[in-house]
Amino acid sequence: MAAMRYAQILCAVLLCGCLGNESAGKGSSGGTLAISTGGDPDALIPSLLQTTQAAQIVDMVYDRLADIGDSLNILGDRGFTPRLADRWTWAKDSMSIAFHINPNAKWHDGQAVRSNDVRFTIVSTKDSTLGSPTASVITNIDSVSTPDSATAVFWFHQRSPQQFYDAVYQNPIMPEHVWKGIAPAGWRGSEAAKNPIGSGPYRFVRWIPRAAVELAADTANYRGAPKLSRLIWSIAPDFNAALTRFFTGETDLFPQLRPENLTEVAKHPDLKARSYNALAYMFLQFNLRDPANHDRPHPIFGNRELRRALTMATDRAALVRSTFDTLAQPALGPTLRVYPTTDPNLPQIPYDLPRARQILDSLGWRVTTSDSMRTRNGRPLRFTITVPSTSQPRVQLAVLLQEQFRRAGVQADIEKLEFPVVVEKDRKRNFDAVVGQWNTNPSPGAVRGSWGTAGSRSANGNNYGSYENPVFDAYVDSALNAFDPAKRRSYFTTAYQTIIQDAPAIWLAELRAVVGYHSRLQITTLRRDAWWAHIPEWSIPRDKRIPRDNAPVTQSPATPSPSPAAASGTGRKTP
Amino acid sequence: MIRYIARRLGQAVVIVAIVAAITFALIHLAPGDPFSAVLDNPNVSETVRETLRAQYGLDRPLPEQFVRYVGALARGEMGWSFSHDRPVREVLASALPNTVLLMGVALVASFALGILVALLQVARRGSLIDHSLSGITLLFFSMPDFWLAILSLLALTYWLPIFPVGGAVDPVMHEYLSLGGRIVDRLKHLALPALTLTLLASASVARYQRAALLDVLPADYIRTARLKGLTEKEILRRHALRNALLPIITLIGLSFPALLTGAFFIERIFAWPGMGYAVVNAIGTRDYPLVVGGVIIGSIMVTLGSLLADLLYAWADPRLRGH
Repeated sequence: MAAMRYAQILCAVLLCGCLGNESAGKGSSGGTLAISTGGDPDALIPSLLQTTQAAQIVDMVYDRLADIGDSLNILGDRGFTPRLADRWTWAKDSMSIAFHINPNAKWHDGQAVRSNDVRFTIVSTKDSTLGSPTASVITNIDSVSTPDSATAVFWFHQRSPQQFYDAVYQNPIMPEHVWKGIAPAGWRGSEAAKNPIGSGPYRFVRWIPRAAVELAADTANYRGAPKLSRLIWSIAPDFNAALTRFFTGETDLFPQLRPENLTEVAKHPDLKARSYNALAYMFLQFNLRDPANHDRPHPIFGNRELRRALTMATDRAALVRSTFDTLAQPALGPTLRVYPTTDPNLPQIPYDLPRARQILDSLGWRVTTSDSMRTRNGRPLRFTITVPSTSQPRVQLAVLLQEQFRRAGVQADIEKLEFPVVVEKDRKRNFDAVVGQWNTNPSPGAVRGSWGTAGSRSANGNNYGSYENPVFDAYVDSALNAFDPAKRRSYFTTAYQTIIQDAPAIWLAELRAVVGYHSRLQITTLRRDAWWAHIPEWSIPRDKRIPRDNAPVTQSPATPSPSPAAASGTGRKTP
Repeated sequence: MIRYIARRLGQAVVIVAIVAAITFALIHLAPGDPFSAVLDNPNVSETVRETLRAQYGLDRPLPEQFVRYVGALARGEMGWSFSHDRPVREVLASALPNTVLLMGVALVASFALGILVALLQVARRGSLIDHSLSGITLLFFSMPDFWLAILSLLALTYWLPIFPVGGAVDPVMHEYLSLGGRIVDRLKHLALPALTLTLLASASVARYQRAALLDVLPADYIRTARLKGLTEKEILRRHALRNALLPIITLIGLSFPALLTGAFFIERIFAWPGMGYAVVNAIGTRDYPLVVGGVIIGSIMVTLGSLLADLLYAWADPRLRGH
C-alpha cells in the first residue's frame, strides 16, 4: 500500500513535469532525509535558539569559524576543523586569535562572508537588549577587531584554556547585511528570522509551523555540496505519531527512541538503531534551604548526614535499570563520563540500606509509629518530590525513589506538575526535592552555575538547591583555569569528590540517546553533543532511493536568481 | 427577529468581554513563566530572563498589561504569541482553516450518520439490528477520544497502512503535486482524524436522536398519520423526525464552538495543525496572548452557537416563533 502511495505521488510529479534527474544540481548526489520531530523550532537565530529542533536546523544553515571535533576537546584548538575560517593565528601572549575568513565563503544570497559579519555576530550576542542565552558564556571575549575584510581578531579579557572553544562553538556567524537594520528586540519576530540566510551546507527553503521545515543543499557551498539534496523535519507533537511516521517509512530518522521501542525496530529489517552517550544527567536535588524562609536551613535536608543516608538508601543501579534498561548508567556526580576531566572511578556513597537506617536512627529519626515511618519529636520524616508530569522517565524515577525511601522509613510524596510550574518552583526555591535534569555542552564549566555558590546566591541562579561549599567552588575554578589536562582532571576530581560526599543531590542517571534510522541511509558518526553534526556527509545510495528522494529541490527566497536554463529544471517555487 | 438578533449579539459582546477579562487574569495568575523552556538551561542568566520579560512587556504591572491588551484588541490586534514569535492573529489564522475543514467535515458527517443510525434503529426497534446498533453506539459513546485516535492510528497507518500517519498534508511531496494530487493528498490526510471524530460524535447524536424519536412516536399526530395509511418510513421521515430534531438542534448549537476551537487530543495525535492544539499547547507554555485570543474566539463561537440553536429552534418549531 505504501508502495502504491509512493507510485501515485511519483506519477503526479511526472505529470506536472517537475521531475529533475539529479535535480539537486552539481555536486549534491541527491536524496531526501525526512526526520520525525516532536515540535517546531523556537527561533532560527543562532544567538537566540533554545530548542534542539532549532539547533539542528541552525547548524545546517549557518557555519561557525571552526567546528569542534568528534572528540569534543575544548582545550586550545586541538581537534577543531576549519569552517568559515580556513586558518587562524594565535597571538604570542594568547590574548587574541586572528581568524582568516575563507575567501570563497558566501552567504546563501550570494554576498561574500566578511570579517564584519564575525564582529557583528559577537557584538550583537553580547548586546543586553537582545537577551541572548549565549552572552553569559562568552564573557571572556572582550571584542572583535577587523583589520581587513578577511580577518577577524578576537580579543580576550584573560588567557583561558577554552578561549578558542568560547570563540567558535557558541557562535555560528550571522550576516550583518541582513540583521543590522533590525533592532535586537525585534529579531525574534522579524522576517529575517522566518527566512534565515546563512553560509552553511543547507539553504533554508520553508517553514510551515507545526507541519514541516525544509532545507535544500547549497550546491555552490564553499566547502562543497552536501551529499543529501534535501532535509525535511516532519513535525508531529505526539510522540506516538512521530514514532509511527518513522515505523511506516514516512520519515527516515527518529532521534528519540525509547528502550521499549527497540523491540519494534528489531522487527523491521529496514530499520536500525544506534545509541550514543548524550550530554545529559538526571538527579534528585535536595533543597538545602527552608522553602518557607530561605535564611534557615531546610528542616530535613539541611543535615548533611541525613542526605547521605538517603543516598545510601537508594539502589541507583536498580533504579536506572528499571527506568532506562541499558540506555543509561548511574550518574557519577554533576558530570559525565565522556568528559576527559571525569574520573570514571570517582568514589560514590554506596547503596547500604542497613547503614542508612542506622544513620537515621542516630540522627533521632526513629520508627515509632505503626506504619513503619520515622519521626523525631513528633515530626514525621516526610517530604515532597516535585517532578514535571511531561517527563515519563522522571515520573518513573520519582515513583521508584518513593518506594526505596519507604523501605528506609522515609515518606516521600510525589507532586507531578506542569513543566513551567516546576521551573517556577525551582526558581523560587519553593520545593523539598525535585527530579531534575541538566543538558550540558562539551564544557564541564556549567557546573559552576548549577552547583556552585554563585548560582546559589544569585536571586534567580541555577543552583536551585542552594548547595554551597567553598572547597567545591575553589577546585572547580582551579580546574577551569588549568591549562595542563592532568591538573585540570585532578582538580575536577577533587571538586566532584567534595560534592558527592556532601550529597546535595542523589545522582541518578547518565543518559544514552538512541537514534533510529532507515537502513537505506548511510550515516557516519553521531556526535555526542549534536547527533546531526555530520548530516552533510550522510547519503542514500542510488539503488535505495524512493520517489521522495527524487522530488525537485525548491529554491529558497534567498537564492540568487538562477539562469533561465537552470530555472527550467527546478520545478515550481514555493513561498 | 432582527431586534432579537441584535439584542443577542449585544449580550454576546458583554459575555465575550467578561470571559476575556477573566481568562486574562487567570492565565497571568497561574504559576509558571512563558520562558520556562528558555530558563531551564544552566547557562541562562537572570539578565536574559529580565530582558525577555521586558521585551514582551511582562515586567509591567498586571492592570497596565490588561489595559494595553484591551487597547490593542480595540485596534484589532490580538497581541504577540511568545511561543510562535508571530502575531496571535497570524497563528490563529493559519490554524483556523485546518480546524474548520476537519471539524466541519466531522460534524456534518457525524450528524448525518447519527440521524441515519437512529432512524434505522427506530424503524427496526426491538430487533437484533436495534440492539446491535445500541451496543455499538454505547461503545463509541463511552470510548475516550485519545484512545480511539491512537488505536485507529495504529490500525490504519501501521498494521494496515491505508492512510498517512498525520499532518494536514504530506510535508515532503505536497508542494510538488498537481492540483488534483494535492486535493487527494489533503483528503487522505483528512480521512483518519475526521473518521475518528465522526465515530465518536455520531454515537452521541444517534443516542439522543433515537431517544427523541421514541418520545414522539406515541404522540397523537403520529397515530393519526398511521390511521391515514402512511407507511412507517413516511411517518418517521415526514412527521416524527422533524419534531424529534429539537434535542439535535441543541447538540448542533453546543457543537458549533468546536468548529473553531477544535478537538485537542485528535489534533495532537494526528499532528493536525488546528486551533485546539495551538491553544491548549499555549496554556502549557504560558503563551498568554495566544490563550486569551483562543478563548475569545471560543467564547464568540459559544454565543453564536447558542444564537444559532435558538434560531433553528424557531425554524423547526413554529410554536416558538412568537417568543
